[in-house]
Amino acid sequence: MYKVQLLGIVRLKTGVASLELDEKQVTTLHDLKGMLPGISRKEADDLLVLINGGKAKKHYRFKNGDTVVFLSPAGGG
Amino acid sequence: MTTTYGGYMGRILDINLTTQEVKEYPFSDRERELYIGGKTMAAKILADHLTGNETAFSEDNLLVVSTGPMTGSGAPSSSRFNISTLSPQTGYLTSSNCGGNFGYYLKKAGLDAIVLHGRSDTPVWLEISNGKVQFHAADDLWGMKTSETQATLDEKLKLPNGRVRKNGKICIGPAGENKVLYAGIVSNERVAGRGGTGAVLGWMNVKAVCASGNQEVKVIEKEKMINHTQKWFRYLRKHPLTGQQLPYMGTAGLVSSMQMRGLLSTRNYSAGQFDDFEKVSGERLAEEYNIVNKGCLTCPIRCARTVEVNGKHVKGPELETLVLLGSNLANNNLEAILRWNYELDELGMDTISTANTIAYAMEANEKGLWNNGLSFADTENLSAVFEKIAHREGIGDELAQGSKRLSEQYGGKDFAIHAKGMELAAYEPRKAAGLGLGYAVSNRGGCHLNGGYLVIVEGLGLYANPTTWHGKADLTMMFQNLMEMISASGQCLFTSYAMFPQLLLNHPNSWYARLVNTVIPYCGGVVRILNKFPQIAAIHLPVFHHTKAFEYVTGMKMPFGRYLRCGERGYNLEREVNRRFGVNAGKDALPKRLTDVLQDAADPTSKVPLAKLKKVYYRARGWDKNGLPTKRLLKKLEIEENSHV
Repeated sequence: MYKVQLLGIVRLKTGVASLELDEKQVTTLHDLKGMLPGISRKEADDLLVLINGGKAKKHYRFKNGDTVVFLSPAGGG
Repeated sequence: MTTTYGGYMGRILDINLTTQEVKEYPFSDRERELYIGGKTMAAKILADHLTGNETAFSEDNLLVVSTGPMTGSGAPSSSRFNISTLSPQTGYLTSSNCGGNFGYYLKKAGLDAIVLHGRSDTPVWLEISNGKVQFHAADDLWGMKTSETQATLDEKLKLPNGRVRKNGKICIGPAGENKVLYAGIVSNERVAGRGGTGAVLGWMNVKAVCASGNQEVKVIEKEKMINHTQKWFRYLRKHPLTGQQLPYMGTAGLVSSMQMRGLLSTRNYSAGQFDDFEKVSGERLAEEYNIVNKGCLTCPIRCARTVEVNGKHVKGPELETLVLLGSNLANNNLEAILRWNYELDELGMDTISTANTIAYAMEANEKGLWNNGLSFADTENLSAVFEKIAHREGIGDELAQGSKRLSEQYGGKDFAIHAKGMELAAYEPRKAAGLGLGYAVSNRGGCHLNGGYLVIVEGLGLYANPTTWHGKADLTMMFQNLMEMISASGQCLFTSYAMFPQLLLNHPNSWYARLVNTVIPYCGGVVRILNKFPQIAAIHLPVFHHTKAFEYVTGMKMPFGRYLRCGERGYNLEREVNRRFGVNAGKDALPKRLTDVLQDAADPTSKVPLAKLKKVYYRARGWDKNGLPTKRLLKKLEIEENSHV
């Protein structure tokens, strides 16, 4: 199993905070982007993705215990 | 005193609190061209009076409340005003910018600024109506918290028909009265929090100032300004930062991004990530506690949150407050933070410095340097501690001095997180080198905004290599100049975020966004050329609406290059005032925790390479090795008359 966290605007848009997924069913980042609730693949492609705190490759294959984070660019004060 | 320029009311009042004498403060159109308004106008006024022998609490200090020409012009986010004085925290010039509506009403009263000096024998509040000043006894207000003070003043300003006269107010709470070094000045629910301006007003024995009137801001090219403003509003509403992130989540929305980038100050800046960050995040604030978004006058961004505390609808915490009372104290109790935020505003105390000082005290206690009973994560009694600070009772009297002075007394200078005596904002700088430089060189002390806010390209909005020193010094200089001018003109700095092209922010994984991120650290040379020859940017940028609006309102020519030059002038003028009070390269420092200790032991770049950054920064600015503007630079900027070289 691995954990998917949606942060920032994407979380407010989708209404989903996090998901627990099976790496045997949704195996790659590419697959995951196509099944995020409430947003299209195109929108998902425009989100920043971090896997275990680091940069993510497009076809990264998930492992048990991974943490995947989706978020958008931000700014404030 | 009149002016040919639009945007200005053409009057500044000089108010002597000792004698209750009020006269006009002379300020010519030439000075308006050079010093614009807001913090730069205030720096000019302070530069003309301060010699270097004053202290914050002396009769020859001044407190200047000023607006910019855009204040009240109808431009987006243009209700800002500025408060500048000699800071009791740093001993240097401080400027604190505030939203709310006081700036707008000061202009309605027919004034661009007020200059307060001297000291009243007894507590007073000032009523300014259509340019006339009345002094009123404030004995009944003294001791009141800020919302009660403002409500009581509204009662006093009732018209015969029972309605409250429309007015804008600034006031202090008990913290200002008792000269807590980081007391702020409150206007509605907004706070000019930084630098201890509230302590100076308290020392002057002024509880509040109310402004009202029926004057109008003259706009030179009204039709053009209306069309431009409409376009600008639409642009801000469409932009991913000013139209989505800030309205949806406020500044609090940054907590998660900061966590992901290692920028979330945790346990007194000993780490950049907090395991419980989601419990104190903007997402949770938006989902569970936000009742409605609020904004200042004429602001389409509406970044303020409204939450419920003790059955009342009050202002929610900003990012700084969330982080510094949350992760930085190892506290994950969001409800407590909402309550503390309200309590600190009521006491009139800067949340950033208060929280940082407490974090220092907790670590000093943990390390056995100062037995004070405060511990990380054990935040049950913080409300009582805040009251003690504001009233200077017991341990509160010590905490009221801030972390710098406490570390000089008890030890632990390496982890007293301040620059020039003012505590740092919520961003942990070891994973953002440019931000670290900005904190160190900022004229008012540990401020991310006065420091240039480079973190927006170092991991938040864009992702240019955050830990490299390449290009950061030049960009810091340019961002500082730009923000100085936006602030001087009377607008909110948040409007500047819309200059980052939507294309880059909407498609952060695109080849062009990646290219821009890669190229940014190599832009130093271009920035330096632009800074040296601003005339090459004699244009209006399509993504930067401020310059055209400035021209339509004032009638002054203001292409982008000149806009930057005005900001540069302001920044150097402040530095020049600070020179008189002993600022130099040695004072542009950060605590060793941030410059010598790695945030991540496996990453040798995870500390602020300050010495290298400062060297390049001084060169980029045209300062000497000791970090001071040269005579030649001052002449180029037409401020040599203010020079103490």
